Amino acid sequence: MSLASLLPVFALMTSLLAAVIIFTLPERSFRLRTLVNLGAAVIKLVLVGVMIWGIVQGRAYEVAFTMVPGVRFVLRADALSMLFAGLSALLWLLTTIYAVGYLEGSPNRSRFFGFFSLSVASTMGIALAGNLFTFFLFYEMLTLSTYPLVVHRGTPKALRAGRSYIIYTLCGGAVLLLAIAWLHGLVGDLSFRPGGYFAEVEDALRGPLSLIFVLLVAGLGVKAALVPLHGWLPQAMVAPAPVSALLHAVAVVKAGAFGIVRVVLEIYGLDAASDLGLLAGLAGVAAFTIIYGSARALYQVDLKRLLAFSTVSQVSYIILGLCLFGPVGVAGGLVHLVHQGIMKITLFFCAGNYAETLGVHRIDELDGAGERMPATSVAFTLGAFGMIGVPPLAGFTTKWIMGTGALAVGMDWVVVVLVVSSLLNAAYFLPILHRIWFGERQAAWPQERRWGRLETSAWLLWPALITAVLLILAGLLANLPVSPLSWVELIVAREVAL
Amino acid sequence: MFESASFVLFAVTLPFASLLLALRSGLQRAYCYSLPVLPLPALMIALLSDPGWLLSLPGLLHGGLWGMDDLRRAFLLLTAMLWLAAGVFALGYMKGYLKADNLRRFCVFWALTLAGNLGLTIAEDIASFYGFFALMTFAAYGLVVHEGTGEANRAGRVYLVMAVGGEMAILAGLLMAAQLAGSDLLADLPATIAGAEQRGLIMLLLLAGFGVKAGLPLLHFWLPLAHPVAPTPASAVLSGAMIKAGLLGWLVTLPFGEVSLPGWGDLLVIVGAVGSLGGAVLGLRQQQPKTVLAYSSISQMGFITMMVGAALASADVAVTLFAVMALFALHHGLAKGSLFLATAMTLPRSRIGQWLMWLLVALPGLSLAGLPFTSGAVAKLAMKEVLKPDHFAFAAAPYLPALMSAGAVATMLLVWRFLWLQRAVGKIGRNPVAMWVGWGLSLAGSLILFWYLPWHGAVPEKTWPTAITGEAWSLIWPILMATLMAAVAPRSVRQR
Repeated sequence: MSLASLLPVFALMTSLLAAVIIFTLPERSFRLRTLVNLGAAVIKLVLVGVMIWGIVQGRAYEVAFTMVPGVRFVLRADALSMLFAGLSALLWLLTTIYAVGYLEGSPNRSRFFGFFSLSVASTMGIALAGNLFTFFLFYEMLTLSTYPLVVHRGTPKALRAGRSYIIYTLCGGAVLLLAIAWLHGLVGDLSFRPGGYFAEVEDALRGPLSLIFVLLVAGLGVKAALVPLHGWLPQAMVAPAPVSALLHAVAVVKAGAFGIVRVVLEIYGLDAASDLGLLAGLAGVAAFTIIYGSARALYQVDLKRLLAFSTVSQVSYIILGLCLFGPVGVAGGLVHLVHQGIMKITLFFCAGNYAETLGVHRIDELDGAGERMPATSVAFTLGAFGMIGVPPLAGFTTKWIMGTGALAVGMDWVVVVLVVSSLLNAAYFLPILHRIWFGERQAAWPQERRWGRLETSAWLLWPALITAVLLILAGLLANLPVSPLSWVELIVAREVAL
Repeated sequence: MFESASFVLFAVTLPFASLLLALRSGLQRAYCYSLPVLPLPALMIALLSDPGWLLSLPGLLHGGLWGMDDLRRAFLLLTAMLWLAAGVFALGYMKGYLKADNLRRFCVFWALTLAGNLGLTIAEDIASFYGFFALMTFAAYGLVVHEGTGEANRAGRVYLVMAVGGEMAILAGLLMAAQLAGSDLLADLPATIAGAEQRGLIMLLLLAGFGVKAGLPLLHFWLPLAHPVAPTPASAVLSGAMIKAGLLGWLVTLPFGEVSLPGWGDLLVIVGAVGSLGGAVLGLRQQQPKTVLAYSSISQMGFITMMVGAALASADVAVTLFAVMALFALHHGLAKGSLFLATAMTLPRSRIGQWLMWLLVALPGLSLAGLPFTSGAVAKLAMKEVLKPDHFAFAAAPYLPALMSAGAVATMLLVWRFLWLQRAVGKIGRNPVAMWVGWGLSLAGSLILFWYLPWHGAVPEKTWPTAITGEAWSLIWPILMATLMAAVAPRSVRQR
């Protein structure tokens, strides 16, 4: 086993090690903790970069061993895993910077950053997992390591939200385990592979396989916040902003969506899944979730709750893309995995900035925020327009590709869903933007803090600005070979166009 | 030199680069003074480069392609000239009329709207065209609501709702057409739409989507609200240049010259007639000079809609009509821009000065009505030349001359109404120099420079002065008739 093939393990270990070190650090050693945090995040980003480079060259990285006979532990870096791993490694670095600024001076930071690193490790594991069993291990580890983050503040409200979160996700996990075990009993241990396993399904297996698919999607759909399994997500908004950013943009919801991607593309295969009539059903659920999430967002008064419902809606774009029976649709869905991540993390960073700097949590308190915090507000505006799908931002690329993909296979109704969803997005984001830029400040800010020359702490500001720039570039330069879209096209060429 | 890749990129990115000046409040004055500079490179491209250049930007969006043909040249000319004149005007206007604490915001939205408006005229690929169009749409909101009054906010809301609806219709239409064409270029859309199974739906989506900008009847509600409440220089570009973006959207996407669609022709001629006459009727009932001008824009766009209908109805006339429409757009944009800017000018003290001033205010209006030896006369005659009923075979064609004459009378009536109202609110006082220069630029553009601009392209060639002299009576009688009506019917026209 060469050193290079161990790269996935190293990528995983950086955060695990960081977690262990941070747990043992005393609360007051701010510098060392920050150094370990950022150091691990940078090293991980480099490792992922090296793996991406290798995969472009056609190399593969895999580590596997048998745990018990018939059950193998597989870590593998392929094009698809790098999509998710790359996204999390990049956004993790930014979120860590943000979290350092956000939590400065608050209690229990060692605990927080320890679990924070553990969740990174879990997400890496989910990205790199080479079969369903390994995937499940890290999926559950993610649940357990994010729970302490959700309840971090320790308020009754946070504890309630945490309880709801843990019940939802553990039940989802149980269903997922059941489905995996059943599938294992039926066909044995299945490593993920492009094209899946069920190109030709025996008649006897059709029933069980369909049922297993429903269970798998139900188990994964809890984290992906498919309606009606989304109830935990808006409640989990009580968590600190960096945690929300992480839950929404990268880790938890994406873990669910990524799992569904793996199951559809690499266990069942697109053809088999549509053959069994499963994709049509899933498309319906995803479409409903998209509209429902947006419609609920319209009625929110709390900024973070609004963003939560927006997440419910946007994550289902990924799943809807998968259900479009063709390479273009799949590309649209997969690229949204990255695009939604960048856009949503920007919005959450900004919401956090408003809360930390001005004490603003409610939408109707935002009047005139643009004048007080112009940089944050520009980033927020870009994120919002991205979500609406205005070119040249990342959201437009997604929408355009999914739209053409849907029309190519005759699913014209998807365009209607996209248009309605964009209208709803405009309906809840544009009034906020009006308040920010054109609202007139009547009263003092609820709880204003000053940071010298900058509008807010540099730790909080820069991550938001960087992701805002990224969300422009991802759309504006979508045709360049380094864009997320190009990477997704590489994946699709390997996965779907067989 | 002016069509070189680096210069075109410079012209397009300059308004974006100007946003850097917004970073520090200390640069506020510099930012204000940069506004007139922003459209200059684009104006040079329009004036000095030969049409036909293309600039390929493979990394941009889904593969960018920018370029300029004769049609786009006319639109680029209009857009850049008007933004230039309005930009100069804005320098003075900001000092005199806008609150100092919001100036930075005004400059930012000005630059962004300008960037979108200029960019969309040279975009030849779908994604960048739609992108620039959306940028213009959303940034213009900032100009509409700038004053922050209840009226402005209401107008802004109506604008935004209709604009977003329009954007979605455009998106759906473009998506369908692009998918069928299998191409990301605008140039491939007309032929594809012409042969598409869902031609009707695609055309409806695009007509309605761009129609919101162009002020098509029933899609126009935002226009008389939003154009007048914006600060005056912004009103000028909204009503002069941005309204034409909707027209350009039609011209570059709909299946002109590919297939003759008499049904659509009839429909659009009727819609255009409703717009041109209905807009005038509603405009006569208004109390604000700027609102009258906004309705006049709707009315004038009605004329263009009739031409669009005629072009859709007969494939072989489409090319000539394109040139005429471009000419008409150029003429109307310059004249309307000048009229809007005039609303903020105060009158000099001396009697002769006042008379001279009124003459200059009125001239672009008379040009709209087709006064001989103005740009309007050229536009009218060119239009008349092409819209002869025997060129066409669709049902509404025989009514075109009558509709045009009625429209000319209506146009002149609106001009009288505008002048009357403007006289009532006209104040005596001094104007900042920049406002004089800006207004003067727009006047010169409309009355003098127009003759030297390269719009001749595919317009039927003739010696215009001779042609105008020959047709003088047909041009003058609608003006005389409207003047007579305005004089003998003061109750209904003046005092309501």
